[in-house]
Amino acid sequence: MHSPVEQFTIKALLHLELFGYDISFSNSALFMILAVLVSTIFLTFAMRGRQMVPGRMQASAEMMYEFISDMVSSNVGNAGRPYFPFVFTLFVFLLFGNMLGLIPYSYTFTSQIVVTFVLAAFIFVGVTLIAIFKHGFHFLTFFVPPGAPKVLIPFLIVIEVVSYFVRPVSLSVRLFANMLAGHTMLKVFAGLAVMITGAGGVYAPGAILPFLALVGLTGLEVLVAALQAYVFTILTCMYLNDAIHLH
Amino acid sequence: MKPTAWTESRQLKTCFSSITAAGLVMTMTQSVMAASEKGEESGGLPQLDFSTWPTQIFWLVVSFALAYLLMWRIVVPRIGSVLEERHNRIEDDLRRARQASDDAEQAREAFEKMLADARNDGNEMTRQAAESIMSKMERKVATANAALAKKMSEAEAEIAKARADALKEVSDIASTSAMDVVAQLTGMKVGKTDAKRLVKQAEKATS
Repeated sequence: MHSPVEQFTIKALLHLELFGYDISFSNSALFMILAVLVSTIFLTFAMRGRQMVPGRMQASAEMMYEFISDMVSSNVGNAGRPYFPFVFTLFVFLLFGNMLGLIPYSYTFTSQIVVTFVLAAFIFVGVTLIAIFKHGFHFLTFFVPPGAPKVLIPFLIVIEVVSYFVRPVSLSVRLFANMLAGHTMLKVFAGLAVMITGAGGVYAPGAILPFLALVGLTGLEVLVAALQAYVFTILTCMYLNDAIHLH
Repeated sequence: MKPTAWTESRQLKTCFSSITAAGLVMTMTQSVMAASEKGEESGGLPQLDFSTWPTQIFWLVVSFALAYLLMWRIVVPRIGSVLEERHNRIEDDLRRARQASDDAEQAREAFEKMLADARNDGNEMTRQAAESIMSKMERKVATANAALAKKMSEAEAEIAKARADALKEVSDIASTSAMDVVAQLTGMKVGKTDAKRLVKQAEKATS
């Protein structure tokens, strides 16, 4: 019996090396590239008709665009327009990564803490730089909650600073943990079904129960895949808003 | 958003994420421990195998940069332009519909004005016709009256003449009968002219 976390193993498909670092093209890399290609092909193909009254495909592509467009404008406002392509890319990349990962025998690169953490750290450094660039030293007032009693200010500054630096951790761990837990659970139930079938005889029909649970969980995981892509993106918008408008 | 509410929500969020993180670290440790207890050769979560990190970071940077380029240069402008085109089209249609509605309103006003004018003209024409008929009638009545008056005056003149003639004959008859009466009574002959003069005197005296 395989471990339910074995599915997360990185397997090199093509050995490559750069400056002494192993940069082999792995199953994780394959699905990152696939997510990029599938999303780009889907979004381009869906818009090929440029119809005034969109069909199903075009409507879904437009829906994605408008969903993120509304998210940026409602969370960041007009100042967020220049960052829209980035936020859209982030959402599409994560959504297609999560969704492709649900296909049996595929790989979910968002279940890798290093991937989610590098994304989150990039966003964290990016929004911090935007804030410093926009507000200079004034940015430091972000850590002083307005209207707080003077006595509490030192404590609040500590809390605010800690909470600020926890952001990339919470952002990356949230996505990673959801993917890890979901896929592990799917594997556990699938393994259970296989084990019961393997027991044979009168026990074999009982395998239907974990199998039904697996079907239900797969549906739930589709929801989680979309939801976590959304959560990651909307939190990015909120951090961007903090950077641009401070309080 | 009010600053206090904002701070509260932010602190709540921080609290939440800390709990998630703490829970996760526990889960991770547990699975690592479970895996090592089972004596798996992988020795824990594959995610924590740091030797795989450089390749994943490298390919993440490559694929995300590629995704950003493709979205920024191709996908976003494509979808954006279609949406803008549709937006403009709808705006244009709405503007045209408003224009058409305004035109219809104007046409209705013009029609109503025309109708009112026609009604006024009709009334005016009726009034004029009535007036001209009245004046014609009055003229006819006047001419008829005039003709009647003329006929009446002619008749009156004839009557007067006939009366005068009759009266003249009466005085003639009176003078001859007076001559006859005088001749019968006195046997005197009275001249015709004298008789006439006397009758005239008598007429004057009686009238």
